[in-house]
Amino acid sequence: MNKFVRTAFLLLFALLYVTPTTVIAQDEERNYGDIDVIAKLGDRYYIEFEPLPKLYLPRILISEGFHFFGSTKSAMNSGLFQDQFYVENPQAFVAGESGPVTYKLVRTDGTPVTLDLSISKHILWFWLAGFLTLFIFGRMARKYEAGIGRETAPKGAGMNFAEVLIVYLRDEVVKANIGEEKYMKFAPYLLSCFFMILFMNLFGLAPWGQTPTSDISVTAALAITTFFMVNLNGTKDYWKHVFAMPGIPKFMLIIMIPVEVLGLFTKPFALAVRLFANMLSGKMLILSMLGMIFVFAGLYGAGLGLASALLWVPFTLFIYALKVFAAFLQAYIFTMFSALFIGMALEDHSHHDEHHHAETAAAH
Amino acid sequence: MDVTQFADMAHLAAGLGAGIILLGAGFGIGMIGKGAMDAMARQPEAAGDVRTAMLIAAGLIEGAAFFALVICIILANT
Repeated sequence: MNKFVRTAFLLLFALLYVTPTTVIAQDEERNYGDIDVIAKLGDRYYIEFEPLPKLYLPRILISEGFHFFGSTKSAMNSGLFQDQFYVENPQAFVAGESGPVTYKLVRTDGTPVTLDLSISKHILWFWLAGFLTLFIFGRMARKYEAGIGRETAPKGAGMNFAEVLIVYLRDEVVKANIGEEKYMKFAPYLLSCFFMILFMNLFGLAPWGQTPTSDISVTAALAITTFFMVNLNGTKDYWKHVFAMPGIPKFMLIIMIPVEVLGLFTKPFALAVRLFANMLSGKMLILSMLGMIFVFAGLYGAGLGLASALLWVPFTLFIYALKVFAAFLQAYIFTMFSALFIGMALEDHSHHDEHHHAETAAAH
Repeated sequence: MDVTQFADMAHLAAGLGAGIILLGAGFGIGMIGKGAMDAMARQPEAAGDVRTAMLIAAGLIEGAAFFALVICIILANT
């Protein structure tokens, strides 16, 4: 241990000492601060496997007909569409081949396309999470059908681990929030929700991976699904509590109805923003922490920048570990809130009536 | 006020706002943690239920804090 610490210090001082002054002199020219965190986290129409060249994804555009292109470049070369950058900066446009800049395609006259259904990297990872969930749990379901796990003990580490999570979620989340009788109807949705979100959250921690849940449209889609699950299964009692809250004076309904109707929409909105913001902020934190190395390098020279890596890399590793935990926690929280909202919509509210409650209490 | 000045003010507001949000959210989640710790110490057999309720409450506060943080992020990018 002692030896290790000594070696680390030696390495640090060696780095400080070795730094040639020439590198520091060049610093004005070399811009260390140029890492666009926001752009790194945003959606793109290509996938990157760093040493290899970018792999462009197909563009599907609907604008006066259906257009399909193999990549953004071929869409631009077709003459029908143009990158927004070139439309706004005509002087940058050179005849012939030109690479995409913003990846936002507009018609050549500058008007936006009717509908952009292009496959982006977030969608690709989103689909991967879906297929992975289907594949893993479909296979597992067949195993259970054959009797493995029901009559015998579950086989293999994967099946054991999944069973721990599934049984916990079924008993502590789905059954606890929805109730004995009806939970079986919603368990499949909530469980697939949990595992798909978990996979999506964990993808971002793998090399070259992306977290689709750090995109608001992905989480919004998930929240809209929950919104429909809640409201299509709402009981008469649930709607009565929205539009005619029992037990309050009639004139209060003028205030209560808008508030309750707003409440229907804020619940899934909060669900979407919570997941999105958690995942995005985690990624942003990791990139900012690593970016501090370059900030230090820009301010005090490459040597100190490298040396400060000894501080920032462990910090990043700590955040990374925290993010693994947050991936599980956020998937759990999304599932739990979905179960909670569904449970609230299914609940028989009659026992919530306080005067009613008091009456029965008095009768006993 | 010209545009650059407006952007500077927006950045200032974003930074200050993030700090204030952190104060509020930290205080709120701290209170929940304190309450949950007290409850768990008093009734260790109810620890599971308390933990679930704690997570729900913390999640609600976090949701509100994130609404505000999203506004900060938008301001910081003006």
